[in-house]
Amino acid sequence: MSIKFAGAFEVSRTPEDVYDFLTDPNKFAPLLPEFRGVSVEDARHFTVKVNVGISYIKGIADVKMHLAESVRPKRAQYKGQGSVAGGNVSMVAAFDLALAGEGTRVAWQGEAQVFGRLISVAGGLLEPLGKKQVQKLIDGLQAALHGEAGSIL
Amino acid sequence: MSGNGQKWVGKAVPRKEEERLLRGLGKFADDIKLRETLYLRFVRSPYAHAKIISISTSEAEKIPGVVCSLTGAEIALQTQPFIEIAPDAGGKIRDYPLAVSKVRYQGEPVVAVVAESPAIADDAAEAVQVDYDALDPVVDAEQALSDTSILHEEAGTNKVWNGVFEYGDVEKAFREAASVIEIDRMHFHRFSSTPLENNVVIAQWDHKDDRIYYWCNNSFPSFAIQFLAAHLNVHIDRIRVQTFDIGGSFGIKITSYPQMAVCALASRKAGGRPVKWVETRSEHMTSSAHGNERTFRDTRVALDENGVITAITSRHIDDCGAYPRYEPLGCVIWSQVFPGVYRFKNARIDFSQAVTNKCPVGPNRGYSRMQHLWFLERVVDICAHELGIPADEMRLRNYIRPEEFPYTTPNGCVYDSGNYPRMLELAKSLIGWDSWRKKQAEAHKQGRMVGIGIGTTLDSGTNNFGQSQIVNPGAPFSGNSQGANCKLDIYGEVVVAVGSCPQGQGHETTAAQVVADVLNITPDLVTVRTGFDTERNVHTGFSGTYASQFAVSGLSAVHGAAQKLKAEMTRLSAHVLESKPEELEFGIGAQGPEIRSKSNGKSINYWGLANIVNVNSAVLPPELYEVTLNCRYIWRAPFKVPDTKRKYGNLTMTYASQLHVAVVEVDRDTFIPRILDYVAVDDCGTVINPGIVEGQVYGATAHGIGAALLETCAYDEVGNMLTSTFSDYIPITAMNMPNVKYGHIETPSPHSYSGAKGMGEGGAAPIHTISAALQDALFAKGVFIEDSFNNADSLFRALHGETGQAAKLVKVERRVGSKA
Repeated sequence: MSIKFAGAFEVSRTPEDVYDFLTDPNKFAPLLPEFRGVSVEDARHFTVKVNVGISYIKGIADVKMHLAESVRPKRAQYKGQGSVAGGNVSMVAAFDLALAGEGTRVAWQGEAQVFGRLISVAGGLLEPLGKKQVQKLIDGLQAALHGEAGSIL
Repeated sequence: MSGNGQKWVGKAVPRKEEERLLRGLGKFADDIKLRETLYLRFVRSPYAHAKIISISTSEAEKIPGVVCSLTGAEIALQTQPFIEIAPDAGGKIRDYPLAVSKVRYQGEPVVAVVAESPAIADDAAEAVQVDYDALDPVVDAEQALSDTSILHEEAGTNKVWNGVFEYGDVEKAFREAASVIEIDRMHFHRFSSTPLENNVVIAQWDHKDDRIYYWCNNSFPSFAIQFLAAHLNVHIDRIRVQTFDIGGSFGIKITSYPQMAVCALASRKAGGRPVKWVETRSEHMTSSAHGNERTFRDTRVALDENGVITAITSRHIDDCGAYPRYEPLGCVIWSQVFPGVYRFKNARIDFSQAVTNKCPVGPNRGYSRMQHLWFLERVVDICAHELGIPADEMRLRNYIRPEEFPYTTPNGCVYDSGNYPRMLELAKSLIGWDSWRKKQAEAHKQGRMVGIGIGTTLDSGTNNFGQSQIVNPGAPFSGNSQGANCKLDIYGEVVVAVGSCPQGQGHETTAAQVVADVLNITPDLVTVRTGFDTERNVHTGFSGTYASQFAVSGLSAVHGAAQKLKAEMTRLSAHVLESKPEELEFGIGAQGPEIRSKSNGKSINYWGLANIVNVNSAVLPPELYEVTLNCRYIWRAPFKVPDTKRKYGNLTMTYASQLHVAVVEVDRDTFIPRILDYVAVDDCGTVINPGIVEGQVYGATAHGIGAALLETCAYDEVGNMLTSTFSDYIPITAMNMPNVKYGHIETPSPHSYSGAKGMGEGGAAPIHTISAALQDALFAKGVFIEDSFNNADSLFRALHGETGQAAKLVKVERRVGSKA
């Protein structure tokens, strides 16, 4: 099952500031919904613990994140993989940054591939839930960067 | 003296099993409680296709109560890969019971954890860490044949098997045809069985005698032990398998031998303690076995001027899931019913089978034949509709005629008996055909979508395993056999053991009926052992319960053993009663079952006879020392090895037939298909027990209706199974079964001693019938039913032009002379 998401928003910070924020695990990871903790392995790898709850299926997922692409101050792409409750999630999330006036336009897009029994048990809930969680992440990101509200396209 | 020659075969004797099963007193594998039992849980792959990067069981093994774990790599070092039935390239596949370096379907077992309790085993399974690297999955068999993503690198291809079955003069038939109809694509969907009881295995690899003991519900144990002995590197005699009451199998439990292997290896690792695995429902749905999925491409049908089919060519692609296991037997088993119930002599079927990243298949009820029979019934209905011939008339023009039996098919199978026109007549009468046609016409005027469909199908029973040589000339199987033992126990009780493995088919009852008739006693005086046990020494390599054969193979063995016993009893009684054998009569006297001399009035009961042989043998004269009153008999089917080059030979002994008629309406607003009326007519030759036969017909009908309208094993594009619970995979229940009107005729088989034919699988007649009825309802709207599974969603899409458009998928070429 594939869940795709994309959107864009603008913030008043410079592209360099936004890029530095996005590529700092200690700043970026806490914005992930249901964040419980992060352990940073190196500049490009970190593992995030998040609470996961879909109806009665609840658990803690360890999501291994990898900063796969980084072009300062234009682009950052994360790849992640996690498992919970009989399912695995692989995700790719990319942020493309462009100067917009004195601020930055952040165009983001991603795709999550969900595998496992979770699909059969809760497949119908995953897409709306996933989009809701992504919206929370973007809202958090904007708030942290003092931007304005964006939306999932 | 009673007995009086009353015959029990043919009577609806109440099932001997009923009392315990209905009162909850049945004994099932999970009821077996052994000291120091450990519990096994599988860690399963969430991916359909992925490399295993690493496995860590250390956290799991730290949990108190966890005894050990097993991985595929560990098992691969200790065992041989399972036997492959396929020749190369399929034969090169290395199949282990746990994934070794990669996973090939979602739900594939990767690690087994063993603990003191089921709950601890569950927790430990959660703590196992497996890292995967996802690979491109292949979930479509046609796509798999392109080999863009290979499942088994050692095979080098996803194609397990390919062969062309060609008979008659196909080209001539097409040259001379009055009409040629082409059908682009049809598809038989993947579904499974949902037995009440899931798979259960208890295994103990006992260090004291170095034997492996199984208490389980595998339904073809003699097949399983052949695979297990070779895999585990043990002598086959070191494996004992016992089964008990089984809550349904439908063929699906035949392929539980990989789990049996893991449980045995886990027991050995755990110091010889018994290890129990009880499958959950979602495990059963994702990872036990599914029925074969099949796609039919490029079908061409030649017909004469009267709408009689003269030739068919087609390309069939079978999807066997991730591992062949029982396959590629399905690549030939369909040809047991090569022409179905029809008379055409010319045909060419190019048959391929591919592995895909889905659950492996197993021989699900109607195995391999139902897919082909559905294909033929679709061909007949599509041709009938396109040529404007009524469905019943089309069949009458094409059926094999009653006077043609025994009928030799183009590929050399011999249909024993049958009368399809009489079945059709009876079914039409039971459903009120003419009345429904009038109601249908009225309904159509109102814009309602009502259709009437016919499905005629076959249940071929008692296989010639020589057909395995058609798929692999090196296969060491041919013929068929079954064993039984009939004895007087020490106190004179009649005790029967059979090599079958019943799962609700009433074997204890029908075996007792047969023995009662031989000995002129009542069935309640015959004890038939429950379940299967290798230690009873009545099994052959074919023993089990599958392929609609017990009425022929099982009861022939029982009959043979009972006759042997009777002969010994006669010989011994003649001596004791000082009479000639022909002066003796069997029956029931004041002291129970006995043998009486008509010449001198002396009698001896069974206790007396058994006493002489077992505990009072000094009175026996030496010439009677060979009398044991413990008679083993092996029945063998009179088959020959087929001609493997021509793919020609008799593949099955009996052909029961089913003819169903359904009236179905598709709701105009919701598109939900609803059955308005239903008739099932059955012919299984001489009926042993009418109650059991009728029950089997209802069961098979329910199974088929469920498959046609409710049950599908759906996968998404990356191989996630979307129907792994009963929320999405909707098994049929009494609540959504229509009333079924039942009728039967009897055309006794000349191939079995009793005239009975194997039955119970039912040929999946409802799937063909409902497809036919839906097409009848929708054909005027340009829809042809291209898939065997039809629910509100698929019918909505068909009626909105997304699928099943006859104009695109069916071509008709009418030539000069066509009357149809």
